[in-house]
Amino acid sequence: MTTITAISAPTRPRKLVGAGRRQWIGLLYVAPAVALVVVFFIVPLCMTAWMSLHNWPLMGAHSFVGLDNYWAILRDTRFWNALKFTGYYTVVVTIAIFAVAFPLALFIERPRQLTGFYRTSFFMPAVIGFASASLLWSWLLNVDSGLFSPAAFELGLTEKKFNLLATFQPAFWSIIAMVVWKVAGFTMIILMTGLQSIPPDLQEAAMIDGAGPFARFRAITLPLMRRTLALALILSVAGSILAFDQFYIILRGGPRNQTLTAVYWIFNQSFVSFKLGYGAALSMVLLVILVALSLIQLRLLRQPEGVD
Amino acid sequence: MRTTITGLAIAASIFGTLATVGPAAADTANIWVRADGSNFMPRIVDAFNKGHQNQIKLDIIPNAEIIPKYGAAAAGGTAPDALSLDLIYTPSFAAAGQLEDITDWAKSLPYFASLSPAHVKTGTYKGRIYGLPFSADSSVLIWNKKLFKQAGLDPEKGPTNWAEIESDAEKVNALGGDIKGFYFSGNCGGCNIFTFTPLIWASGGDILTEDGSKATLDTPQMRGAIDLYRSMVKKDLVPSGAQTDTGSNFFAAFATGNIGLSPSGAFAIGALNTQYPDIDYGITFLPGKDGGWSSFAGGDNFVVTKGTTKVAVVKEFLDFAYSLEGQTILAKYGSLPVRGDIANEALKDLDPRYKVAAEAMAKGRTPYSVVFNDLINSANGPWNQMMNEVFFGEDVDGAIANAQETMQSIIDSAPQK
Repeated sequence: MTTITAISAPTRPRKLVGAGRRQWIGLLYVAPAVALVVVFFIVPLCMTAWMSLHNWPLMGAHSFVGLDNYWAILRDTRFWNALKFTGYYTVVVTIAIFAVAFPLALFIERPRQLTGFYRTSFFMPAVIGFASASLLWSWLLNVDSGLFSPAAFELGLTEKKFNLLATFQPAFWSIIAMVVWKVAGFTMIILMTGLQSIPPDLQEAAMIDGAGPFARFRAITLPLMRRTLALALILSVAGSILAFDQFYIILRGGPRNQTLTAVYWIFNQSFVSFKLGYGAALSMVLLVILVALSLIQLRLLRQPEGVD
Repeated sequence: MRTTITGLAIAASIFGTLATVGPAAADTANIWVRADGSNFMPRIVDAFNKGHQNQIKLDIIPNAEIIPKYGAAAAGGTAPDALSLDLIYTPSFAAAGQLEDITDWAKSLPYFASLSPAHVKTGTYKGRIYGLPFSADSSVLIWNKKLFKQAGLDPEKGPTNWAEIESDAEKVNALGGDIKGFYFSGNCGGCNIFTFTPLIWASGGDILTEDGSKATLDTPQMRGAIDLYRSMVKKDLVPSGAQTDTGSNFFAAFATGNIGLSPSGAFAIGALNTQYPDIDYGITFLPGKDGGWSSFAGGDNFVVTKGTTKVAVVKEFLDFAYSLEGQTILAKYGSLPVRGDIANEALKDLDPRYKVAAEAMAKGRTPYSVVFNDLINSANGPWNQMMNEVFFGEDVDGAIANAQETMQSIIDSAPQK
């Protein structure tokens, strides 16, 4: 959350310093927002941290155990495997989303015939919740009563109905396809606004200088879209690291527990094994990893000195 | 259908929390039940409320929510006075110190000895009784009489051993088209503990020791039962969707009328009779390798929240549920009777196929473990992973060894209190 605000909010001019009264009024204005953040973010976060230091079953008494939960995480190979899978998924799905969203953004950026129609239809899946989209796809992917396997069979493409969810590769790529379908439209809109903020004169000047479309894309479009790319990238990475719904609803972590994500593991520890304290400790670890990753991304995509 | 029930249940629970306590003259106790009981529970509560001054207020909670919701409510001091709880959770709830010890009252009941033994066993923790049987469901084998007839089999005779299961399924499967010989949910731990372990029990094996302290997966009986399923999968007698079915088609597959045989539960009798009256089916026991039979004894135990002030009301209600009137209401709306001595009387006007299920229940078994959820029911637990690998995968030995090791380590690291 904080990282996103950091890029979108420009640095405040320091004029207000000295004008004490106006500063107080400013504080008053942000007070409701601060209150919301404190009540719904800071307090629960502190409670999670507090719980993570306890052996806290769903029922019965809890007891203070210090850092035991964190030591246990070090030995929890299934958590690290889940994290490894989450990392793999994040890399693959982020590349896939950008590979689809960028061409779409270029396609719908300038007004032309039917642009409104295309924008709407590409964006449409983004307004569905992840859970509903997962339920829809869980039906589409069903081998007996769904769409893909029966259709391929009826068209004579496969010899018998192929169960897409039964083995790792087809199941994993089915999820990737579903997520791209669901998220690419949103990323497309973000990228489109970035594209539209590039002054057309620059492109024209480059064209007159004889730069081809690829050179213009590389030397003008990409550098000027740094901020937009950073935003889209951070949203996509953070969203993917926290992935849960689609793996829970469509695959149940299967086939054979090969698609357990980090959040899925936290959920299992907390609500299947009833170890809330341990789940809280895992959440803290994931939070640290996520913050670190976001900082790294911001640093990599920071505006070079002198530009802007 | 399921969503409607869940929706209703959510609505019910919201209204439940909003409703205020009834008139002060009589006491009102609050009871929760999981959505599986949404058919019979409101009926029996209504009947009780009509005839008694003390009242019961019922909340129906979605199946997957009831455990975490109860845990949260208990932590916040707003837990219901009593709960109809999936019996396999009774040991872990008792171990957590969440339940009232009802040993003395239970033993004072004149019919205590004829209460479903499997329920009483899971309701007992360290020699004390914390849960008593409320509703019951046993596992049975169902077959489609119409398809049996078409396949040239005797439609009135179900299989009595493993070889017959396979050959019957094969003959039905030979009808071709959409018709398949056999169905089971291949990615559902709860379904397979219910319908697959009875095959092992009936052959003399078991998956856990009596006290739940050791996992005993690698037995000749287990391997034999696995071979039966593997062979049917290999011969293509099972629809390919079975491999990834997490339980949503557990009953629905047979209800399409295209499945010859399917292991199922007593609940299927009521569901088929009311929702699919056109399907002509038979019910028999889940057999062992060379005959004999066994069943999983499922259902709910009735447990009382520790420290509640409404123990008297709760006991009055349970007493009513155990009466002939109560047992008849339960049987009529989808649960088997839990009192062996009056079971036949409660079932006498109902579909005769219930008798098979009731008999299965009387001899039914339930594995005992304080970590049942972790071991068996979890979609990502060792049991479910092993079932899926041994039925559809290549490495049976590795899957069994791996599950044995994981289960034992979960049992060993469970809190010992």
